[in-house]
This record gives sequence, structure tokens and C-alpha cells, in this order.
Amino acid sequence: MHDASHGSQNQLLVVYTGASQHLGRAPLALSDGGPDVVDHWTVEDGGRLLFLLVRHEASPSPAAFIDAASSCYQQGDAREQQSWLRAVAFLPDPARFLPLVVDACRTNILPLFESVACENPYPARHFPERNFNQMVLKALFTGVALARILGLPERANPELARMASDYADERRAAGRSIPVDIALAMADRARTRTDT
Amino acid sequence: MKIIDPHVHMTSRTTDDYEAMASAGIVAVVEPAFWLGQPRTQAGSFVDYFNSLIGWERFRAAQFGIWHFCTIGLNPKEANNPRLATEVIEMLPRFLAKDGVVAVGEIGFDDQTDAEQDCFARQVELARTFNLPVLVHTPHRDKKQGTIRSLALVRLLGFPEERVLIDHNNEETLPIVLDSGCWAGHTIYPNTKMDEHRMAVLVQKYGSDRIIVNSAADWGISDPLKVPKTIAVMRAQGIAEETIARIVWDNPAAFFAQSGRFDVSALEKRPDMDRRQKFETNSVLRGEPAQAHR
Ligand SMILES: [Zn+2]
Repeated sequence: MHDASHGSQNQLLVVYTGASQHLGRAPLALSDGGPDVVDHWTVEDGGRLLFLLVRHEASPSPAAFIDAASSCYQQGDAREQQSWLRAVAFLPDPARFLPLVVDACRTNILPLFESVACENPYPARHFPERNFNQMVLKALFTGVALARILGLPERANPELARMASDYADERRAAGRSIPVDIALAMADRARTRTDT
Repeated sequence: MKIIDPHVHMTSRTTDDYEAMASAGIVAVVEPAFWLGQPRTQAGSFVDYFNSLIGWERFRAAQFGIWHFCTIGLNPKEANNPRLATEVIEMLPRFLAKDGVVAVGEIGFDDQTDAEQDCFARQVELARTFNLPVLVHTPHRDKKQGTIRSLALVRLLGFPEERVLIDHNNEETLPIVLDSGCWAGHTIYPNTKMDEHRMAVLVQKYGSDRIIVNSAADWGISDPLKVPKTIAVMRAQGIAEETIARIVWDNPAAFFAQSGRFDVSALEKRPDMDRRQKFETNSVLRGEPAQAHR
């Protein structure tokens, strides 16, 4: 913990990486059940969030913290990046990390995409509409259940409904099945229809 | 028979290869960091390459039910670019700390220059610091001399020989390596290095102690099914099943388990089974399997 707060950036990275060997990947079972968001967390995920918060407290300037936190993400392997993406919503002033989180959605590594898109409050809170919609569409494409996207009903919008409906047309034209939960992405359209 | 291919450059291979390897019984692969055929001109290229070994390639392998591990190091060819070599060796520690990195390698000699020897020695010291075993590449040219020099350097540095795997052996070098405490790897290639029949003869002569076989398949003429093909030839030559199993499973597992990051019992189930379970507990499982999309 001391290295996480006062060590050089390299020492922080070693501590951050070492969480998997020192803390392990057992589920983070909070005694009172804890908030839903951490249901899928492991002990190493929790430890890594703690390291980052400790580092924030000890950072001489916001820029120093951004730098340290960003390198934990950029230099991490897939597991470390997964921990980081699960935690980013709980860092102070999380909006400043938006470019990294949006970029993470471009990954081909499905578990990494899931750690942004699923059981994570960050996208609904901070993503601009365009990025949010892209993420929902990618979830449809990759077979990730839309029910796992937090805040989707609140963020539903006409453009997303149009994209989802175009996607359904494309699937139909190709003679392929349409995901049963695609309606969740069209909530806005349904709402508009009942309104008028 | 369960198989580990302990030296294969999957980054250069296609998904067809992964599919064929999985159905031939390959459960786990170790991908050593090596050169890419074309010399890199900046250290940043190594960062991206190492990251792809511990990230994307591991995921890609898992999609085909294959566990992917890697070794990280500066290869001997590129050790001859002094500016680049220093920069790369300085950034190795943060990669050597990562899960799934099961050795330092492949390091060793190519042209057998002083620069190569210097990088070899510095990386053996890193292996000591990170408590990792070492994978040593032996040169194509002047192989016997390169093997002798490699063993001498390991001994000079006082690095434990049972934590060193000397790779790409042939009839000339195998007895030399077996005389030391190091492990002996054999690369079965279509035209060069070693073939299945010569390998079977070596096993008949020397047994299976510390003997390992790999395909070292990469972007050149090579074959990622050479380990299963060697098994077939060894069987046809009447070599006992236990002997074969030691060579293609127990030995590589025991060598890399010395890293503390290669848990043989975890290899019992295929990695994609994990993913399916995760889907079942977490979410609605759709009719189609999850796939990577470009
Ligand atoms: Zn190689």
C-alpha cells in the first residue's frame, strides 16, 4: 500500500500488476451483498481500485494522478485493464478518463468489452450519445445481453432505436435470427409510439 | 493424448491452425517473444508486440479452447542493435511481472557477438530477479559452439541449470545439453532443424528425461501440428505411451511450472468452457457463440 501511495510510477505499476498474485481472483463477496455493480468483481479488482484511490490521495497534482492512473490502464494486461475499467466509475472526477474508456470499447477481447459495457455505471453516466449507441450495438453484435448494460432505459434515444431497427432489418434480410432482447435498444421508439 | 506445444509463434498463425491444433489434442501453447522477420526500429514496437502476446493472442487462443502462455525477452538477432537493446531490456521488468509470462526468452546467441552475450547475461539476471526460468534459442549457424557457449554462460552466472531450457537441439548438441542440468528442446521443422523420425531415434537412444519437443511454427515454412505428428511417428516406432506423454506433457509442464504461473491442474478444463459458464451464470445465453469481430 505504501508503494501505491508514495512509490515511483514504476513501483505503482508493480503493485498494480501484483494484485493478481497477492490478492487472487476469488469473487469479491461483500458480507452484506454489496451493491449490484460489484457482483462480478474479484478480490484483485477491489484491491486495484483501492490502490488507485490511495494513489489519488497522495498525488501532488491532478495531472500526476491522471498520468499514474492512465499508465495502470495502458500498461496492463487484459486482466489488469478489466480491473481498471470496472473501477474507473469510482475514481474521483471519472469523466476525465472518458477517452480511455471509449477506446476500450473498440477492443476485440470480449471480456474487456464486457467490463465496460456490463454491470458498469460509467457508460450511462459519461458516454456521449454516439459512443453509448455504438457500445449498445456492439453488445448486440457480440451476443452480450442488453439487460447487463446499466442505465440503458434512461439513455434510450431515437438514434439508437433507428440503429437497432436497421440492424434487425439487416439480420432479417440475411435470413438470420434477431436477438430477443433487441427491444431494449428500441425502448425510445416504443415510448414515442405510445406518446403519439 | 494431451499435448503442450512449448514453443510456437501463434501471432503468425491463422485461426485454422488453432482449430486443427485443438482437435489434434493441443491443450496449451507457450509463445516465446521473438523477432518478426523484419527488424524493429524502435522500442515502442516491442511494447505493442509484448502487449499483444499477453492480451489479444491469449484471448484468441482461448476462443479455440487453447491455453496461451508466453515468454518475454529480447531475441538475440535484435540484441545487435545497441540503442534498441538497452531500451527494450530496461522496459522488460514490467512485462516479466505479468501473469501468463512463464519464462524469460527466447534469448541466446545468433551470430554469437559480444552484444548478444551481454543481452543474454543481463536477461538471465532479470530471470533471477523475477524468479522465472529461461528459454534459450541456439543458433542455426555454428550450433554446437553456440550451445557450448550458452551452457558456459549459464554456469558462469551461477543460474540454476534445472531452470534453463536449451532449444532447437540436434544429434550433435543433445548429449552436451543432457550432460548439464538443463532441459533440451527439439524443434520439428518440415525441412531444417530436426524431423519426426530423427526425433524418434533420439528418444530411443536417450529416453525421455528433460527432453521436450516443439513445432516452433512461425511465419516461415513450419507446421503447428509437428508435435502431434511426432507422437504418431514415435508410436509407430514402438516407443511407450508413458515415454511419449512425458515428452509432450509432463516435461514441458514441469519446466514451466517452475515459474509459479503455470498451474497444470488448471489445464484440465479448456478455457472456452470457462467462458460458457460465465455466460450461463451472468446473462441470457444467446443461440450463437460469442465470437471476436474485426
Ligand atoms: Zn522461436
